[in-house]
Amino acid sequence: MSSTIAKGAVAQAQATSSTTATAASPATAALQPVQTKQTPLAQGARHAFPAALAGLFMARFSALVADPVSTMATTLPLTAALQVGYAVLCLPAAGSQGAKAARKPKQRPGENPKKRAGVDGTGPNAIATAILALLLSLLVTPFLHAALVLFGAPFLTHGAHTLLCAAHLAVLALLPLFYVHGVDAPAWAAVGGFAAPLDETSGGLAGAVAGAWLGAVPIPLDWDREWQKWPVTILCGLYGGYVLGRVLGGTLVWGKRF
Amino acid sequence: MPPPQPAPKKAAQPLPDYKTIAAQFAAAKRAKEQAENAADAPQKKKPAPSRQDRKQEREQEQEQKEKRTLAEAAAPDHHPRRRRARLDAARKRAYLARWAWTAGFWVWLLCVHAAGIAYFTSGFLLTRLVLEEKSACGAPPTALADAGAGAGAQRAGSGSASLLGSGVGAGARVAGKAAAAAGGVVDLLPPWEGKGTVDGGCWHPRTFERAVVVVIDALRYDFTVPVGDGEPFHDAFPFMWETAVREPARAFLRPFIADPPTSTLQRLKGLTTGTLPTFVDVGSSFSGTAIDEDNLLMQLRDAGKRIVHLGDDTWEALFPEYFEGNLSRAYDSFNVWDLHTVDNGVIEHIFPLMGRKDEWDLLIGHCLGVDHAGHRYGPNHPEMTKKLRQMDAFIRDLAATIDDKTVLVVMGDHGMDGKGDHGGESDDEVEAALWMYSPKGIFGRTEPEHVTPPATAKTRPVNQIDLVPTLALLLGIPIPFNNLGRPIEEAFAGPAGNSWANLAAAERVTAAGIKRYQASYYAARGIEQSSGPGSPSELWVKAEGLVGKGKKQDWRAIFSAFAAYQAETLHRCKGLWARFDLKNMGLGMAIMALGLITLLVYVSKGDDDDVIDDEELDLAEQSLELQGIEADAESIPVDTLDKRLVRAAVIGALPGLIGGVVSSSVSGAGDWYRGAGIAALTSIAAVLASMYEAQETLLKLLPRTMWGWMAVIFTVSQSVGFASNSYTIWEDSILLFFITTFGVVSALSALRLPSRTDRYLAIYHSVVFVLLGRVASFSKLCREEQMPYCVSTYYASATSSTSAPWQLAIPFLVSLVLPSVLKAYLQPTRSYEGLAPTWIGYVFRTGLFMSALYWLLDAADNGNWIPGLPDKTLKTISVVTAQIVLGLAFVAGTTAFIWAPPCVSVITSASRSTPSKAQVAILGYANAHGARYLLLPLNLFAACMLLSKPMGAGALALMAWQVLSLLEILDHLGLPTSPIGPVMLAVLGTFHFFTTGHQAVLSTIQWDAAFIPLFAVRYPYSPLLVGLNTFAGPVLAAAAAPLLALWKAGPRRKGLLDAISRALGAFVAYFAAESLATMAWAGHLRRHLMLYRVFGPRFMTAAVVLLVVDVVGLVVALAGVRCNTVAVGDVFGWAE
Repeated sequence: MSSTIAKGAVAQAQATSSTTATAASPATAALQPVQTKQTPLAQGARHAFPAALAGLFMARFSALVADPVSTMATTLPLTAALQVGYAVLCLPAAGSQGAKAARKPKQRPGENPKKRAGVDGTGPNAIATAILALLLSLLVTPFLHAALVLFGAPFLTHGAHTLLCAAHLAVLALLPLFYVHGVDAPAWAAVGGFAAPLDETSGGLAGAVAGAWLGAVPIPLDWDREWQKWPVTILCGLYGGYVLGRVLGGTLVWGKRF
Repeated sequence: MPPPQPAPKKAAQPLPDYKTIAAQFAAAKRAKEQAENAADAPQKKKPAPSRQDRKQEREQEQEQKEKRTLAEAAAPDHHPRRRRARLDAARKRAYLARWAWTAGFWVWLLCVHAAGIAYFTSGFLLTRLVLEEKSACGAPPTALADAGAGAGAQRAGSGSASLLGSGVGAGARVAGKAAAAAGGVVDLLPPWEGKGTVDGGCWHPRTFERAVVVVIDALRYDFTVPVGDGEPFHDAFPFMWETAVREPARAFLRPFIADPPTSTLQRLKGLTTGTLPTFVDVGSSFSGTAIDEDNLLMQLRDAGKRIVHLGDDTWEALFPEYFEGNLSRAYDSFNVWDLHTVDNGVIEHIFPLMGRKDEWDLLIGHCLGVDHAGHRYGPNHPEMTKKLRQMDAFIRDLAATIDDKTVLVVMGDHGMDGKGDHGGESDDEVEAALWMYSPKGIFGRTEPEHVTPPATAKTRPVNQIDLVPTLALLLGIPIPFNNLGRPIEEAFAGPAGNSWANLAAAERVTAAGIKRYQASYYAARGIEQSSGPGSPSELWVKAEGLVGKGKKQDWRAIFSAFAAYQAETLHRCKGLWARFDLKNMGLGMAIMALGLITLLVYVSKGDDDDVIDDEELDLAEQSLELQGIEADAESIPVDTLDKRLVRAAVIGALPGLIGGVVSSSVSGAGDWYRGAGIAALTSIAAVLASMYEAQETLLKLLPRTMWGWMAVIFTVSQSVGFASNSYTIWEDSILLFFITTFGVVSALSALRLPSRTDRYLAIYHSVVFVLLGRVASFSKLCREEQMPYCVSTYYASATSSTSAPWQLAIPFLVSLVLPSVLKAYLQPTRSYEGLAPTWIGYVFRTGLFMSALYWLLDAADNGNWIPGLPDKTLKTISVVTAQIVLGLAFVAGTTAFIWAPPCVSVITSASRSTPSKAQVAILGYANAHGARYLLLPLNLFAACMLLSKPMGAGALALMAWQVLSLLEILDHLGLPTSPIGPVMLAVLGTFHFFTTGHQAVLSTIQWDAAFIPLFAVRYPYSPLLVGLNTFAGPVLAAAAAPLLALWKAGPRRKGLLDAISRALGAFVAYFAAESLATMAWAGHLRRHLMLYRVFGPRFMTAAVVLLVVDVVGLVVALAGVRCNTVAVGDVFGWAE
């Protein structure tokens, strides 16, 4: 008797919780996958840029192994330029029709209305948005540095190594997202909470993070290889994962959710 | 049932009386029931809220007070009241029965794990008993060779008068017949001058007064013979080969075979004691590296000889206080990058000493350059050529300074493999070179073709242990007691190569020593020596039979017979000490693997429906029960899965036990554990079968959520990682990586939570969890293999085992902060009530403060900060302090925990809406189970904190905090039944094993923990104290495991016992998986050169941790849960 009641109640509870999970927040549910621009130039560029990134990394690999700090420092502007170019050419800027899709995010209590107005105000000015996105990415870099340290990166030594690695992560994975979403908190919550649909930007982020995570795997091995030094393997995983995630996100798994 | 008595310790401040709470609550409940019975529609103030609404409300603080509006005390109806009491009593009985069956299941699991580990260990962990007997100069083993055979162990130094008489007396040569009566003494050699004294030669005439022993580390045999293939490491060291060929009477060169493991420390042990190394040499001083077995240096020192040592400081560790302090020079042996310091130091200091021969009797020089060149560059490098040429010149110069009374021994302690490394047992690693030189010209060859040293190490090799009897007999000292080697032919054959009498005598006295040692060893182990054909005993009888047959003896035959005896004994010992029993290892692994599968099936068996917390439903049920619909108290089922499993386990074990015992007695093997092993297997099979009956399938084992996958990935990837020595060495960093990964993922997935408070709290606790883990990771004690990429912070410096002054502040900080942190975690559910404020705020804090005080006093005592105090004053005070802390934690703590009321308090106030009615609010209702249970791990924590060093105390405090934030994360993310909770707790426990200054190596065991509350070693306390120190992390995690199900569980929560048992199951499954993995890898890599350093110790750690966790889970966690549920149930009524 009691068990029947219990089962029924549980079923109900589960039903409620499952609806809660999917309908986590109305804004999230409405987040649409980012569609790249349909112009022939954009379509060509979206395939050319990942190849360029991969090529850049491969070309700089031996230099990276020899001198990580200066190589990462000199490569960072190139990577940033590639990413800015990709964003401007292929992605819809934050606030433009493409990025906003069909949704009008409602004001959230924790959100700063001024900031949003600022981003929205730039409208479709692609160059300004891209530069803003680059600045925001670099602004986030210290936090990524802290995250890397939390994962076990050296705390007192190798500061430049870790910071530059974090900067590469930010410029690769976060710059396009900043370009597309600006500082739209619900969108970022969706991206961070694995609730955003996969596309080139969120796929790139997932790939970059997973790649960097897996990049830590070979470090402890006692193979005494030069490329095992910090943070070469992380950067390897980062670039590889990002390119793979972006390409897959833009093609095979586009629009899918976790 | 009578309500339990309040805790005796709680008088410190006025507490809401427990009896009052119980009475108030019972009255409130009766009133409610009455009200419900009277009216059809229950008079609830709140409309039935949906789960989600309530969840949201919980964040609002009012939710934490479970409110029930009650009618003003109506006259109690006696009928339902009696009924309720009967129902409660019946439920309590049923609960206790179910608890007993659950505990039975865990006892069974403990037995299975113990059987699996014991089985594997019996095949894998080779142990050798270290005997403490010493050989004595006046008691040659030949004297008791016959008598000793039956008598067993003859303690040296307690030689009987007849022995001394026969050995020492001048002209006391006893004729064969007389000797037979005195114990069968037949000397092969005529008496020599000074027989029985070190100066004349104890057991054999002395040849040399002094010896110079030069160890060239990693001197492989092929480095010393002409090869002519142009390799950089060949033909660079020709001197020894040349002298052996040119002056055979003055020098000989032979391959010198090392017994694995080929690490310098183990080799030096073998080279001085003459025994075979095993994994664990069980001796009196398990902790230190110093050799306490009889050995060459000990014999020399006891004979009053002076020993000088130059070079590798491993010698200093093995032989502390042996060497002449003013002449000896030790150099750091681990700086592999430095090729020259040690060698140059040896060369610089050895030549002056050669001019001062009257100041020493044994001179040891240990050069490391060749070894370091191998490690750094590999053999195939010009640096190696240079190094070998340098050694060539060095030995050439040294040989020129040797006089007639001195023997020069040059040897490699092991070889090196193709990469220049060593440690394992490949041919290149075990094949070293031995060269002996003396201008006296006493060396001989029994065959002319033996003059030229063998071209490869495969021909005519000698064992490294053979050096021990050789040097002992040449220098006139007794052969060390545990020796298994035989004299080297060349050293005793005489220049003409025909001194067979001398050879036979040397061989016989050595063999007699071996026989004496064997008798002693078997007696100490309590094993019978076999005496069948081909056995050493038979060979011995045969050899002795040849002795004493007339004047003209067949010396050569006697020599060969004793040599055969030695060879067979050595062969047997190698089998005993160096052979793995694959059958037992396999069976052990099978038991562990099946046990793990059983555990996983058990964990995944339950329905998640069991754990529900719905007070509306509960009220409805109660009223139904009272209306008699389900009121038959006797019908409450006790038949649970655990009961079925335990029955299946017992029934399944019986045939296996009988079969095992019968088969072992039939086969005559007589090993008691065979029965246990087979019983374990059949028992597991029966349990698995019974669970299969219960519709369990293996498919259910696959995780269904991201969190489940995460738990599996963490466990499996770590298990796979144990196959690599690198991942085993860097395990602490890997665990931190997992902890951070979990924290980051939980923070990110918190972004999906609908409620803002939930979201922020979950993110906050995730961040705290990760940050604390990273902070704790700064406390570490590096293992040797982690150098130079690791900085030890656990002690004041890398070379000390005391805490730095600033570290002494950590425990004080903990005593200040931790109780407040605990309070902060109890406050949100209003659970800082009942005993909690007194216990956590005062008693617990006092305990922590006193343990901080202990470490301050300890440091003051060690550093002699307060001069002028009488001896032992500080030690006495600190020991008493420690005892008080432990008494507080274990005696008072356990008492308080057993008798404590739930951490709740009842407030009666006027109802807001209808002021005529009283409103009873129970503070702490929502976490009634968890808050009370928390007191138990805290007691254990106080004890562990005292027993850990100050740095470890800080790490453990961080762990306690992390556990609480983990519980909050799981609660906010709605993961109470996910396996990720138990697995993360287990990861935390393992992680804090490392942060408390431990590594998976024997050398990091903090033996001094035994003396924290004691003055001397006392059983069984000392091992328990060391155990608590070593496994504080896993022990605390196991004690906290029930919190995974109990945290934020209200008193009416159903199915808690099952939920706890499953959480504990998942928790133990992690350790069982690690244990199985390390076991499998250690077994698979049993020939790996890192076996003794990495894989073996990690397996031992994992096995012990598994058993510890099993025991703590049973004795602390499950027993604590029983107490806790009884206490909560007696107050709030029984939920099931």
